[in-house]
Amino acid sequence: MSKKPFEFIKKKLNRSSIILSLTLLFVVLVIAVGFIVFRFNILRYNVQSEDREYDKYYVMITDNYKSDFWQEIYKGAFDAAKEQNIYVDLLGDDLPTQYSCEQLMKIAIASKVDGIMVYANESDEMTALIDEAIGAGIPVITLYSDNTHSKRISFVGVGSYNIGREYGKQIINIINDKHKAMDEDGTRLGEDEINIAILVNSDAKETGQNVLISAIKDAIDKENITGSKVSFSIITVNNTNAFSVEESIRDIFLADDIPDVIVCLNELNTVCAYQALVDFTRVGEADILGYYDSDAIIREIEKGTVYATVDIDTKQLGEYCISALSDYYEFGSTSQYYTADVKLINKYNVDEYHKQKEAEQDE
Amino acid sequence: MNRFLDKPLQYKIISVCVLANIIIFVVNIFLLLGINSMSTEMELVYQDNKNLNQLSVSLSNVQDSMTEYLSSKSSDSLTKYYDNAQRFSALTDSLDDKITDLSFGRMERNIKYMSQNYLDQVSQTIEAKRGRNVEKYRVYYENATTMYEYINAYITSLNLELFVNNSKHYSELNTAFRHYEFVSFIVITLVMAGNILIITSFVSAIIMPLRRLADSANEVAEGNFDTELPELTNNDEIGTVLNAFNKMLISIKQYIEKIRESMEKERYMQEKELMMESHLKDAQLKYLQAQINPHFLFNTLNAGAQLAMMEGADKTYEYVQTVADFYRYNVNGKKEEATIREEVTLVDNYIRILNVRFAGDIGYDKQVDERLLDVPMPNMILQPIVENAVNHGIREMGDKGRITLKVYREDNNVCISIIDNGKGVSREDIDKIMSGHWQHKEHQYDNNGIGMDNVISRLRLYTENINSFNIFSEGENKGCEVTIRLPYNDAH
Repeated sequence: MSKKPFEFIKKKLNRSSIILSLTLLFVVLVIAVGFIVFRFNILRYNVQSEDREYDKYYVMITDNYKSDFWQEIYKGAFDAAKEQNIYVDLLGDDLPTQYSCEQLMKIAIASKVDGIMVYANESDEMTALIDEAIGAGIPVITLYSDNTHSKRISFVGVGSYNIGREYGKQIINIINDKHKAMDEDGTRLGEDEINIAILVNSDAKETGQNVLISAIKDAIDKENITGSKVSFSIITVNNTNAFSVEESIRDIFLADDIPDVIVCLNELNTVCAYQALVDFTRVGEADILGYYDSDAIIREIEKGTVYATVDIDTKQLGEYCISALSDYYEFGSTSQYYTADVKLINKYNVDEYHKQKEAEQDE
Repeated sequence: MNRFLDKPLQYKIISVCVLANIIIFVVNIFLLLGINSMSTEMELVYQDNKNLNQLSVSLSNVQDSMTEYLSSKSSDSLTKYYDNAQRFSALTDSLDDKITDLSFGRMERNIKYMSQNYLDQVSQTIEAKRGRNVEKYRVYYENATTMYEYINAYITSLNLELFVNNSKHYSELNTAFRHYEFVSFIVITLVMAGNILIITSFVSAIIMPLRRLADSANEVAEGNFDTELPELTNNDEIGTVLNAFNKMLISIKQYIEKIRESMEKERYMQEKELMMESHLKDAQLKYLQAQINPHFLFNTLNAGAQLAMMEGADKTYEYVQTVADFYRYNVNGKKEEATIREEVTLVDNYIRILNVRFAGDIGYDKQVDERLLDVPMPNMILQPIVENAVNHGIREMGDKGRITLKVYREDNNVCISIIDNGKGVSREDIDKIMSGHWQHKEHQYDNNGIGMDNVISRLRLYTENINSFNIFSEGENKGCEVTIRLPYNDAH
């Protein structure tokens, strides 16, 4: 009985020592956890900078790095290069001012990159720069558009003749469709003239365009369409400054008589052309043969504003560049030409195209 | 723990407070360390931008000094150029040329190589100028200036990108700082709560014996000396007080025990004294009883013998019988208590004896309630009173003298009245008799020997009532009445 109060005090003391231990434990725990969390928060940045390091550094130079087309090519090249521990930069992408391909070439040479992929042209300046780079030991690949006189190690592009033939086939389809429609309406009055306008960039002295145009002509001649006279016109689109392309294309639609078929040879021209057609409410009067398979262009094919477009395997273009440079580094030389696949998309196979895209994405 | 508990109270309380403070101090130190580390980090956020600006300034210096040299060809500007070029070269050398996923890392690399290229161009320009090769230095100058612009563009771009990145970092740091503030607040609050718990439980544990002591002291103060004594716990001040209290309590208990013992002894003594007193009284009574005069016995027996000699008949026998009865009562009356019946019988016998002695002078009337005859009373009470009444009241009246004996009930008393029609008693005499100051006439031969004061004393002792004996007389020659009041108990 008399032991009871003592036991009680003892219990109380035990309890307080437990509380003391728990509090101390808690304090230590809080400090430890807080410290770790805090350190982790701070170190996240330091860890980030110690990222993967690459062996080689290639640059891709183009005049319009914002377009889907070039972004796709860049992505193809980037992914292919990454597998070989090489980093590919789209040069000029992160610079405040927009530089021309030639200026970017100078920067690339001065930066002592390990490889250059350039959207070249046939100008002498470009030739000199490519030769300078080769002289400095930097392999140069011309991409999509060649500079034939330079010492570039390889050209990666699309077969212009193939594209021209495909366009030719589509033009024949368009003519046939029109004839059919006229027959049904009974409005066909003997021979009519089909006007085909081909939009050509003003700065392009490249041979690719010429090959393409002659391929179209060949294809039409081969089919030998009766009852139609086909005339070709080449419309030069001024692309010397930022917004001149759009203005030049609009000018075409301001005339009373617009061409029956407009062939666009790059993505921007295609977009400008169908937009102008819609804005001037002349859909149906002219058929647009587009270039490249951006989402917007595919949508217009579904709507019928754009008759057909060519789907260039941009990924393949990028991959070819990297393999050409790798071959060069590995064997000292590489194939002079790489040609990427071309596929035509029109309203008949657009669904199939979608399915294929989805399948690719699922992969 | 036990060693700690044995320390002085002051030490214990201070220790607990110091411990609590140390905990808070340690936590605060850690929090401060965290804040310090964060602020350092924040200071360093824009360090890259500062470095880059330095690079930019250095580049401009090189370009300016080159231009100055080209335009003035002064040796001053040439020295300046060399200084600047060296500084710029050192700065560019420190740049990182790693190729990483981070765009500013690659930009840094490009700036490094472009700067080297630029420095080459500039030195070629200077060389050409010194060699007065006008055509060449112009071209080199153009090239260098173009490169200068490109590098500047790169630096601007990198600066911007770094700034954006660093701003992001800064704002994240800021957010982290806010979180840190909040967490710190929570931690401080929790630690404080823990401290309060520690202090509360410790102090209450330390104070617990004191509280129990206070409770015990209260109980003792209320007179409960048998309260549960707090167990001696620690060797601190409370322990000492507790110990002292316990000792004190034990002493008080012992003291109380002693007092009680002595009081009990005293009471026992008092009781004994009382007993002795009563025994004394008893002895006095016995002594008084023993005062009965043996002369009377012989006188009476002589009278009986004379009668027997003269007549030798029934009367004599009766008389002698009566006398014998009378004396038997006296001889047997060793016991102190008798019944009224016995006393009345004794009076009857006495009157008869007197009547024989004095030839039937005394008239004797009895009015007795038979039911009360068994009531006890002290013996040798009535006969002395009657004797007194005869001797002092009616002796000289001859045959006119009359004695009346009444036994009746009055409330809870049994009253016995002896009434005579004799001389009566004066007021003063009554008072004297009642207060026991009546002077006996010594050697009064015709006396049983038992005085009125003895009778009164005995009656008063027996009944414990001062009014148990009364004398009433209306005056000279008007007789006298003596009334005895005995307590009546229904059980008799």
